[in-house]
Amino acid sequence: MDETVAEFIKRTILKIPMNELTTILKAWDFLSENQLQTVNFRQRKESVVQHLIHLCEEKRASISDAALLDIIYMQFHQHQKVWDVFQMSKGPGEDVDLFDMKQFKNSFKKILQRALKNVTVSFRETEENAVWIRIAWGTQYTKPNQYKPTYVVYYSQTPYAFTSSSMLRRNTPLLGQALTIASKHHQIVKMDLRSRYLDSLKAIVFKQYNQTYETHNSTTPLQERSLGLDINLETKFKSGLNGSILAEREEPLRCLIKFSSPHLLEALKSLAPAGIADAPLSPLLTCIPNKRMNYFKIRDK
Amino acid sequence: MEQANPLHPDGESKGGVLAHLERLETQVSRSHKQSEELQSMQAQEGALGTKIHKLRRLRDELRAAVWHRRASVKACIANVEPNQTVEINEQEALEEKLENVKAILQAYHFTGLSGKLTSQGVCVCISTAFEGNLLDSYFVDLVIQKPLRIHHHSVPVFIPLEEIAAKYLQTNIQHFLFSLCEYLNAYSGRKYQADRLQSDFAALLTGPLQRNPLCNLLSFTYKLDPGGQSFPFCARLLYKDLTATLPTDVTVTCQGVEASSTSWEEQRASHETLFCTKPLHQVFASFARKGEKLDMSLVS
Repeated sequence: MDETVAEFIKRTILKIPMNELTTILKAWDFLSENQLQTVNFRQRKESVVQHLIHLCEEKRASISDAALLDIIYMQFHQHQKVWDVFQMSKGPGEDVDLFDMKQFKNSFKKILQRALKNVTVSFRETEENAVWIRIAWGTQYTKPNQYKPTYVVYYSQTPYAFTSSSMLRRNTPLLGQALTIASKHHQIVKMDLRSRYLDSLKAIVFKQYNQTYETHNSTTPLQERSLGLDINLETKFKSGLNGSILAEREEPLRCLIKFSSPHLLEALKSLAPAGIADAPLSPLLTCIPNKRMNYFKIRDK
Repeated sequence: MEQANPLHPDGESKGGVLAHLERLETQVSRSHKQSEELQSMQAQEGALGTKIHKLRRLRDELRAAVWHRRASVKACIANVEPNQTVEINEQEALEEKLENVKAILQAYHFTGLSGKLTSQGVCVCISTAFEGNLLDSYFVDLVIQKPLRIHHHSVPVFIPLEEIAAKYLQTNIQHFLFSLCEYLNAYSGRKYQADRLQSDFAALLTGPLQRNPLCNLLSFTYKLDPGGQSFPFCARLLYKDLTATLPTDVTVTCQGVEASSTSWEEQRASHETLFCTKPLHQVFASFARKGEKLDMSLVS
């Protein structure tokens, strides 16, 4: 087993909390039941990790096996990343979407490999008709950096894909291209919607409600889901007070105001009754589900 | 009068008479008192006596009243009983009617399209079915505003709800609902066929069924005779019409030596036709029956 692969697997396993370790290893399904039974999970973590690496060497784990483990870790720890939402569109009069998962995977991989030569692309399908894609980026001359991958969650036969915000911004256009072409769309646009919570983003984008429909006897109204969102307002600082250093500048200070809460919409609704804000609340703060945006830029009129 | 000291010798006789008089006086006053007391006691006794009389009279009146009441109630019951049963019957009839209405409302579910009013608009329920089997239900919660808006829904994310809404929701809500019904029923039907294939005919499949969320692209390999046949058929079914439950394009191929022979070619072509014209699980059911016939012929 390659040293870099061993090191990468080791670092990935070290990140996993002990109480999740067996679940994640089972989901990975790389080490056999027999192998796992030989491990004493009550030892100190370092010893457990050593033993697991040894077993992975026995089975000759490859970089793609390691990448799959990384995807599973990320699926369990989605909130560690901030997710952007991309929306794709077809041209007018396009054929019906006959999505073929095999074709999509091949096409996606090929587009990236043709452009970059050095790239690791891995896929993991979920039961919800979504596919998780992991991309470790390299260049023509450098090997892929396994420690700064981009993750994409694509819901096939919908226009939506969620991607983890990457520091490597230069790869975003290529990623968009690969997604669009492989899924047989024409255009891709980044929505003004981002959050750590994939479930919240899904709720807004798909407007779905998972509860089963009640019978005619039920009179309870459907409730808004609690959305663990932030609202981000990019604006220029204006002050009502005279002689404020921040406001009286040649160029007004640009700032980003962030509203954050596990139950953001509920919190905003309580501002007016609490006397903190004037009612009615600015539509900027309440239009998230309708407009499907949580990132706003306020310009001077 | 002089106070007489009885022990004084001078007033002895006077004391005697006066004392005697005094004694007689007290006696009289005592007897007066006694007779007064007696009188008052007699008066009290008299009063109590009258009270007793009154109470007795009252008791008798009440007793009489109770008797009277009982008698009249009995008479009432005798008269009223038939009326009370009528009331009970009416109540039962009303409850029966209510149950009927509830049942009708539930039955509307089976027509596929039902709805109920909500505080903001209407919640429509679409119940899908295929070949007489009731399948999944989906709902769309509409808010009646200008413009008409979808508040919540349980339509799967890959059904083009937004497209259908963009076309019809504002102008012709009936068209919107019927179009959505079409898509959902067709999707349910395709899904049903794929599920049935996976669950009932796994023995004839030689690999996993490849399917996509809309169930409009199915790809699988199968053998008519899992024991005997050496190479499987490969089938690829495309459903380009999302409102249909039968495929628009079918390709069946067979790799291997036998592929070139005419009998295999005939079979291949006939399978293509079958998949185009009959629901998927029914085609496989006929394969299974043919297999049984083959087995029978081997035995006899």
